[in-house]
Amino acid sequence: MTRYVIRRLLQAIPLLFFISLLLFVLMRTASNPLVTMGGKRVPRPEDRERLARQLGLDKPLYVQYVYWLIGNDWAKIDMDGDGVAETPGDQKGVLRGEFGNSLVIRGKPAWTVIKERIPRTLLLMIPAEIIILIFSLVIGIFSALKQYTVTDHVITGISFVGYSMPIFFIALLSIQLFAIKFKEWGLPALPPNQMFDPQVGKTPSQIALHMVLPLLSLTFVSIAGYSRYVRSQMLETMSQDYIRTARAKGLPERMVLYVHALKNASLPLVTIVGLDIPLLLAGAVVTETIFAWQGMGFLFIDHVSRGDTPVIMAILMIVSVAVVVSQLLTDIVYAWLDPRIRYD
Amino acid sequence: MKDRIWKSVGLLIILTMLFAGLAACGPTPEPEVVVQTVVVEKEVEGETITVIETVEVEVTTQVEKEVVVTATPAPTSKVITFAWTQEPDYLNPYYTNMWFSTVLHQLYSCWAWEYDDENAAFPKLITEMPTMGNGGLSEDGTVITLNLRDDLVWSDGTPLTADDFVFTYEMIVNPANTVASVYPYDMLDSVEATDPQTVVMTFAEPFASWQANFWRGILPKHVMQPIFDAEGTIDEADSSLLGVGCGPYVVDTWESGSYIRLVKSPNYWLGEPKIEEIFFQFVPDDASQTASMIAGTADVGTFPPLSDVPTLEAGGLEIMVQSSGYAEGIFFNFGFGGSPAAADVNVRQAVAMAIDRDAINEDLLLGLTSAPETLWDPLEGGFWVSPEIEPWQYDPEAAKALLEDAGWIDTDDDGIREKDGERLSMVYGTTIREIRQDAQAVIQQMLRDVGIEVQIPSWDADLFFASYADGSPCALGEVDMMEWSDSTLFPDPDHYYWNCSELPNDESPWGANYFGCDEELDALFVEQLSIIDPEERAAVFHEITKIIHDKVYWLGMWDDPDYWIVSPRLTGVKFSGVSPLYNIMEWDVTE
Repeated sequence: MTRYVIRRLLQAIPLLFFISLLLFVLMRTASNPLVTMGGKRVPRPEDRERLARQLGLDKPLYVQYVYWLIGNDWAKIDMDGDGVAETPGDQKGVLRGEFGNSLVIRGKPAWTVIKERIPRTLLLMIPAEIIILIFSLVIGIFSALKQYTVTDHVITGISFVGYSMPIFFIALLSIQLFAIKFKEWGLPALPPNQMFDPQVGKTPSQIALHMVLPLLSLTFVSIAGYSRYVRSQMLETMSQDYIRTARAKGLPERMVLYVHALKNASLPLVTIVGLDIPLLLAGAVVTETIFAWQGMGFLFIDHVSRGDTPVIMAILMIVSVAVVVSQLLTDIVYAWLDPRIRYD
Repeated sequence: MKDRIWKSVGLLIILTMLFAGLAACGPTPEPEVVVQTVVVEKEVEGETITVIETVEVEVTTQVEKEVVVTATPAPTSKVITFAWTQEPDYLNPYYTNMWFSTVLHQLYSCWAWEYDDENAAFPKLITEMPTMGNGGLSEDGTVITLNLRDDLVWSDGTPLTADDFVFTYEMIVNPANTVASVYPYDMLDSVEATDPQTVVMTFAEPFASWQANFWRGILPKHVMQPIFDAEGTIDEADSSLLGVGCGPYVVDTWESGSYIRLVKSPNYWLGEPKIEEIFFQFVPDDASQTASMIAGTADVGTFPPLSDVPTLEAGGLEIMVQSSGYAEGIFFNFGFGGSPAAADVNVRQAVAMAIDRDAINEDLLLGLTSAPETLWDPLEGGFWVSPEIEPWQYDPEAAKALLEDAGWIDTDDDGIREKDGERLSMVYGTTIREIRQDAQAVIQQMLRDVGIEVQIPSWDADLFFASYADGSPCALGEVDMMEWSDSTLFPDPDHYYWNCSELPNDESPWGANYFGCDEELDALFVEQLSIIDPEERAAVFHEITKIIHDKVYWLGMWDDPDYWIVSPRLTGVKFSGVSPLYNIMEWDVTE
């Protein structure tokens, strides 16, 4: 297994390199940071020219990529526009652990911009993932055991409705109901957005209160979908010969269910959860935007629209590494869940 | 047994959800008012005296009456919250042009002069506006002398002097600093402090629009000079402005992604504002902003979707409209590689008559806007606009007749006119903003009714507004009609889009003229910039506006002012289109 893990990690290096090249080219050709620097008006041509020079955006694309990758402290920049490069560069480059400075908030390292948002995203996404897992397992198993009963039909109906609803619709509906209508009706209303009320402070109770609606929006659709996977896998597993054998041996039903059936039925869910792990870092764009819970998802959209290559590249590379690692973890969990799987 | 387990699990889940819900939605304990007698020590002129006061205190009690929770904020506490749909990017006023950043300037920063709700300038850091009459403006218009008030201080007590002005100028023009714009400071030859209260600005040429864009924020030399000396740039010095300013407030906290909190400055030279604290909460979604305003968690919002205006008004909120110089319009490519149709003045005039702009304002913008005739309409009650301009009226029959007379005739009965084998077809492009795309579709049909074909592509704003060097379709001359919202160098009437020197090409790829070169117009734009006398300058602008209107180089679609949503608990609220929160000192809260 150790050799397998090392081999996978080594294979990831050229993959990440290729991803970085592709993403950098896409980012730099599909967006233009200079356009948005003028506020409501497009910046004056003289300012565009000056900023392009000062920020290195006038260099050929491959030079910009090399600077991003290995830094530019070995080169000089023409800051004053006299045609002579006189100012030493100060970027160290990704390979030396520096993502460069944001173009939108010039002078602020991209990593600092991201670091401010990661805790907000994880604070929302980790509880959401835990709730999704617990509820989808409970509902899926329950539904499978009650197959074709009224309860199963009701759960199935609700799941289909939940799965069909876009997150933004659930989010806006929940704000309208729990924040606005509840207030109108004289009921205790939930806050419509934000992570906490700054006039009260960032207390655990404030955060918990403000989390209710975003969590509801984030989890509802996923629970509806994941519980269907669990149900179908449980039904398939329960009809396997080894389950009949386990029952014939006289094992208690609980052991049959949780040790033999659920463990084997969990494999597809592990795949889905493995794919979810990078998304914990990437955040949830729609939910974060509507509920003003500005984490990584909103940061990404905001800075993409303003062509902030260093910040976007940093986010994408972090997520890419997370994808590689999570897939490796998924494979390891596979081997634990199913002893027939061997990697060596 | 199995059923019992499942029932237990189910019950547990339901109870958990119920408790979680109750915990989240739990009613706020009702405050009750009790009368308490307290002993207060007061210090009066160095002497400590003891007084006994009877005060009403709001306390909140739990059901079991065992704990007294903290008192609610004191009745005198005046805190307001802005719902801010974009997070500001900088505190340093010269590093950003983002509207959502610049609006905060009147709170923590200070301008040499500001603008009122009529968008008229009034002195702030200076004793009076420079004029030739008071000697502030030299006869030849090349020297401006600013006399500063003698009571100016930074929030930390350091005097604000002419040296801070000079430092600000030096930082803006220093190539080590990546400021957002060096305009109009690049027009200056020098800025000097002749004494602590006198700033002398010297230009090489008379610069007529000096009043519009200078000194929108002063940088504290005593704070930033050491940083510049150490690092060679102030690019990374933004956080040094936390807690230091020259406005009525200082930025106390900025939590990225969440809020900015401003508290009263301890040393504001104009006294104390009535509002004690101001929060800017970042709410990036329009629907969420509307929800915040209606739910009462925010007191001020901006730019609501027009479809939400009736809902907001029904919720008791006031919508305040303030002209900020912007107007949505179509720029015509009359001579920059566009189609022969767009180059024909008859076609452009026919387009102006074929578009029912009133109907667009009524139907797409709910009647909240109207169509301006020129880009200068939003300025100073039309002072710069020629009185001889006859507005374009919706008249499709006249448009058809004009096209017929000009030789554009539908010879093949396909509904589209031709001339000399050239089809009357144009490209009408804009950004992907929804209202613009709606307007495109409506206008396409209106123009088709008179025999004009338009293709209606739309692009992301960063591609649409990119430069010739970046391959923008506009800058390459590929679009005949380009729609977006723009202004002059507001509040000044100056503009540079139509200057012939701005035509982009391989040697000058950053040019902003995507429309063509009209020599007469170009000469007028160059001439007006050196005329200091407003009346004389207005006469030139009357010629400019008449040419642009009559030759239909620009066709106004709707005015595009600033919209503010204001809670009824606020009083004394006014806005300016240039320095929006100029009268924050007069704002108050009524509970």
